[in-house]
Amino acid sequence: MVMVGAFRRRLVRQTLWLAMALAWPVTLGAQTGHDVAVVVHPDVPVDSLTTADLRRLVLGDRGFWPGSVRVTLLIRAPIAYERDVVLKNICEMTEAQFRQHWIAKVFRADTAVAPKIVYSSEMASDLVNRMAGAITFIDAAQVGRGMRVVKIDGRMPGDKGYTLH
Amino acid sequence: MTDHSHTRFIVHVTLVSILCLGTALPAVAQQPAHPAPPDDQAAREALPVYPSLHIAGFGDVNFAAQNRNDGPRGFTEGQFTLHMVSALSPRIAFFGELTFSPRLDGGTGNPPATGFNAEVERAIIRFDQSDELKVSFGRYHTPINWWNTAFHHGQWLQTSIGRPEMVQFGGRFIPVHFVGALVEGVVPSGGLNINYQAGIGNGRGSVISRAGDAGDNNDVPALLANVFIKPDRLFGLQIGASAYSDRITTIGRPDYNERILAGHAVWQHEDPEIIAEIADVRHTQVGTSLTTSGLAYYVQAAYRLPAPARLWKPYFRFEHIAIDANDVVFAGVPNLDGSIVGVRYDISTYVCIKAEGRFLKRVDNQPRANAWFSQIAFTF
Repeated sequence: MVMVGAFRRRLVRQTLWLAMALAWPVTLGAQTGHDVAVVVHPDVPVDSLTTADLRRLVLGDRGFWPGSVRVTLLIRAPIAYERDVVLKNICEMTEAQFRQHWIAKVFRADTAVAPKIVYSSEMASDLVNRMAGAITFIDAAQVGRGMRVVKIDGRMPGDKGYTLH
Repeated sequence: MTDHSHTRFIVHVTLVSILCLGTALPAVAQQPAHPAPPDDQAAREALPVYPSLHIAGFGDVNFAAQNRNDGPRGFTEGQFTLHMVSALSPRIAFFGELTFSPRLDGGTGNPPATGFNAEVERAIIRFDQSDELKVSFGRYHTPINWWNTAFHHGQWLQTSIGRPEMVQFGGRFIPVHFVGALVEGVVPSGGLNINYQAGIGNGRGSVISRAGDAGDNNDVPALLANVFIKPDRLFGLQIGASAYSDRITTIGRPDYNERILAGHAVWQHEDPEIIAEIADVRHTQVGTSLTTSGLAYYVQAAYRLPAPARLWKPYFRFEHIAIDANDVVFAGVPNLDGSIVGVRYDISTYVCIKAEGRFLKRVDNQPRANAWFSQIAFTF
């Protein structure tokens, strides 16, 4: 009886360890995330942006690309990892501050067009290639072939010192 | 449940968990190189359509208690503000702002006064050539004062309950509205981000708190220029200066030339938030050298408390207005030395509650007026 009890306890313990071991990569992935790539429409005449340029684009202070093509900002809906990275690293704002910023921006008549919300990386990828002047943020691991990724401060996603992650 | 079945239950649950996690892992590992097509309806909705009218609103409900008669008491409805924006093409947009303000004399007179005043606060049509050049026409909040163009009639946007008295709606110190044309843009300047605005318009009307909506009442147009910088290296900082000139024509008085010089410095982060503005208004009787000058300034500081008290934002403002006793144009505009202290609590993303004490001194040898206000402000 004693041996059976010990076997059961060991079985439960080992099963729990196995579960934790399998769960670890998923948990780790959710906590650390990947680099976030800045993707633009193929016709946007820009290869590289500074963090300050990107901030002006995301906050609506810059509304045109060189050549006077109107910027269309596509940003993931709240809670998405890409949105959190942009708000924290580029805008230095909380979600509430970002929303208030854009409500005020439109109310001040600085711009007539607020950012367009995209609900998935697939939707972002599709629209950024369809809408002239579009810019969006996609998990670097999900960037497909043929998508136009711009450098930030001279670095591509995966480079050492890349700040969007 | 026996010992044995209990153990079996734990093992089953754990194995099911493993299976679930096991199906999740390949999904994480095998992210698609080519994205799947999106939901077509959502994508269609994201594509631009013209005209694209969007309506937003602001509202507030107030309560006031004060020891002197320097404003309303009890509950008051704030302004009901509707904001409309419509992109008419990729480069042309219309902006409008309507307010409905409760009247103290509602229902009196013959015919009876309405309960609310409706006002077209802003109506602007703008052509955007580029970031460097935007041209617009219409009725604006005069861009010679930062507060006047940052918050407009959206009480929810501003930290405090009330505006500084120098830009009070219906006030006379600064022309709050401007009817005319505006050219604006950003000058390429590296990381300095030099912004400019230049305007020509009707200036003040015969009632100087109002703009000349139905035309200029003299042949001298109002001119304005505003320049400000937003340096990249100090994100959140804005420093600017502006100038305004006009001729004021009122019934029963000689004409006066008006010249306003103003400046502002703003740190727009919330930890802290600092807003400081100053304006000098000079009036010179036409044909004479008789000149008077009025000075107003305020400094407001606020601080969004760190977590877990992040919803709270205490603030303080000091403001000062000094009017020359010989200034005929500003006859009746009171002096002010006042402080306000308050706190804003963001009950949700779009609703806040504010409580504020105001301690105002109008005349040197008279006691201060003390008042307490609270406000629920929201956007919808």
